Amino acid sequence: MTQKPSAGPVAEVLQGRSRSTQGMFGDWIRSRTPANSWPVVAGFAVFAAMLGLQQLIVPGTQRLLTSVFLFVALAQAWNIIGGYTGYASFGQVAFFGLGAYTVAVLMNNYHVSFWVALPVAVVVGVLFAVVIGVPLLRLRGHYFAIATLGAAEGAREVVNNMTSVTGGGGGITIPTFGSEAPTPYFGKPGFYLAFLVLAAVSVAVAALIARSRFGYAMVAVHEDEDAAGAVGINTTVVKVIAFAVSAAIVACAGAFYAFQQIEFYPTDVFDASFTVLMVIMVVIGGSGSVVGPLAGAVGLELLSQFLRVNLGSFNQLIFGAIIVLVVVFFPQGVVIYLRDAWRTRQFSILDNVRRYRL
Amino acid sequence: MSQFLQAAAYGVVQGGLLGLVAVGFSLVWGIMNVVNFSHGALAVTGAYIAWILNIRFGVDPFLAIPVVAVALFAFGYVLQRGLINLVINAPIFLTLLLTFGLNLVILNGLQLLFTADDRTIDTSYASQSFAIGAVNVPYGRLAACFLALGITVALALMMSRTRLGHAIGATGMDRGAARLMGIRARHIYAVTFGIAAALAGVAGTMIATVGSFNPTTTPGQLTLDAFVISVLGGLGNMYGALVGGLVLGIAESLGGLLLTGTWVNAIAMAVLIITLVIRPSGLIGKAMYGGRVEV
Repeated sequence: MTQKPSAGPVAEVLQGRSRSTQGMFGDWIRSRTPANSWPVVAGFAVFAAMLGLQQLIVPGTQRLLTSVFLFVALAQAWNIIGGYTGYASFGQVAFFGLGAYTVAVLMNNYHVSFWVALPVAVVVGVLFAVVIGVPLLRLRGHYFAIATLGAAEGAREVVNNMTSVTGGGGGITIPTFGSEAPTPYFGKPGFYLAFLVLAAVSVAVAALIARSRFGYAMVAVHEDEDAAGAVGINTTVVKVIAFAVSAAIVACAGAFYAFQQIEFYPTDVFDASFTVLMVIMVVIGGSGSVVGPLAGAVGLELLSQFLRVNLGSFNQLIFGAIIVLVVVFFPQGVVIYLRDAWRTRQFSILDNVRRYRL
Repeated sequence: MSQFLQAAAYGVVQGGLLGLVAVGFSLVWGIMNVVNFSHGALAVTGAYIAWILNIRFGVDPFLAIPVVAVALFAFGYVLQRGLINLVINAPIFLTLLLTFGLNLVILNGLQLLFTADDRTIDTSYASQSFAIGAVNVPYGRLAACFLALGITVALALMMSRTRLGHAIGATGMDRGAARLMGIRARHIYAVTFGIAAALAGVAGTMIATVGSFNPTTTPGQLTLDAFVISVLGGLGNMYGALVGGLVLGIAESLGGLLLTGTWVNAIAMAVLIITLVIRPSGLIGKAMYGGRVEV
């Protein structure tokens, strides 16, 4: 009796040993019923509605929705490592900045087309995630959070000081007009489409991963890493892949953001408040679900824009107060609260507050 | 050579002050497992109280310290008792987010009250200095450094000698067992946060005396410094914060001498990450807090 050679730990984790990918997809199609296919239908409906909406609104509003789509993608990316896998990274902005600078440097210094620079940016993000992920993902809890925060600050400082390549603190400009431009500028409608597709892809990736064998491995690592290792999950591989997938989405978002901004500085694209916003959107929406980060990103970005327009200098104060109140009243996230409350018919918010109280 | 000695001396006095910034942060993190994003904002709040006392009533900043400490202790106690205790059992990033939200509220509140201008507390002696050989030592920074040293020693003695200190330590080690011994964890947590806030306020007052502060950039810088120092020194370790502060202070001032631009910041971050990977309990910390089961 001969044993089949193992396909390696990555393939085993991703696909399982007994099923081929084709078989899984066939099973998935056959298992569709009207009751369990509504998220897919709803997803396509929302995507189509957003496409239609673009024809009805002015460019200013398109710009606003573009930033909403950006944060949907970022929140979904953070949720993969922070929500599902349970490793609260406070350095995801490092990948955003690296993606942005890769595109800018390639387009500005080497006149490479945006569509070539984009995949390079994603590869750079993934490589950096693997390089820092292997040592740092051994740390747990706050230690991981602080180490990733340090990695992001360090990445910014390196970009800041490599003046000959990146322009340093003086910023960098992507040529967008005339014969200088490697790729013509998309304009507001173009970026609306680009970020809409990016958001849709990130939601789809998150949803597919969440239902896959790999998704359950991530949740197992989150619930109890030692137990996950004991049942045969290679926890290091799972953590590093989750980190790398998250980094790929964030780097992609950074690449589009760079092209949209045209001119930016290291402090703009390595701004720690991007990371904090990702975390806030995921946690307030509900971490470890696909709908949670989506709702959190849409809700908070619209709220923050509304406050900025209507409250002037008070907007940050009110924004902070809202974060405090939501954390206290819905510690598990608004979407998860509503889901659990609907299932158990227990709507008391006071009971909810008692959950984590001392 | 004299340039080198001058930088080292400046690093030592700056390091003592940074240690005082971090000691409260480290205490809260070590005992309650809360990373307090609003630590820098509390320090700047203390600085504003001292600044107002100084320009309105002419109070010397060193005499204003008791007032600042009491005010911030009360503020910290209420904050912990009324707000942070509500989510203390939640996953770590919830307490991070809560303190981040508090940070936004405090900072923007201060900015609306006092504008975003740079402020400093002027005294006749802070900018004066005396010379040891070729090295100039400013009085203000030296006094601030000694004050930081004194407060750290007093805090360490309180933690090891008094009933309150024992109660705080016990609650940090095992809250369940501590409660069974009759320790009121809610009250002890609030007192711990109050002490940390008071220390932050004192540190902020000193920073305002030897340099300048504003509500937009100073708090973030202080919180980041406190992060690095706490990790370097080890959590919940009073002397660790002081050692971490001295290491950072000397490294930054010598690095500023040897390296161009802001490479020194990149190196500080590399040191932070390497320390975390190799020795997560800090340079002189015990393994206790690092290895503790998070409940």
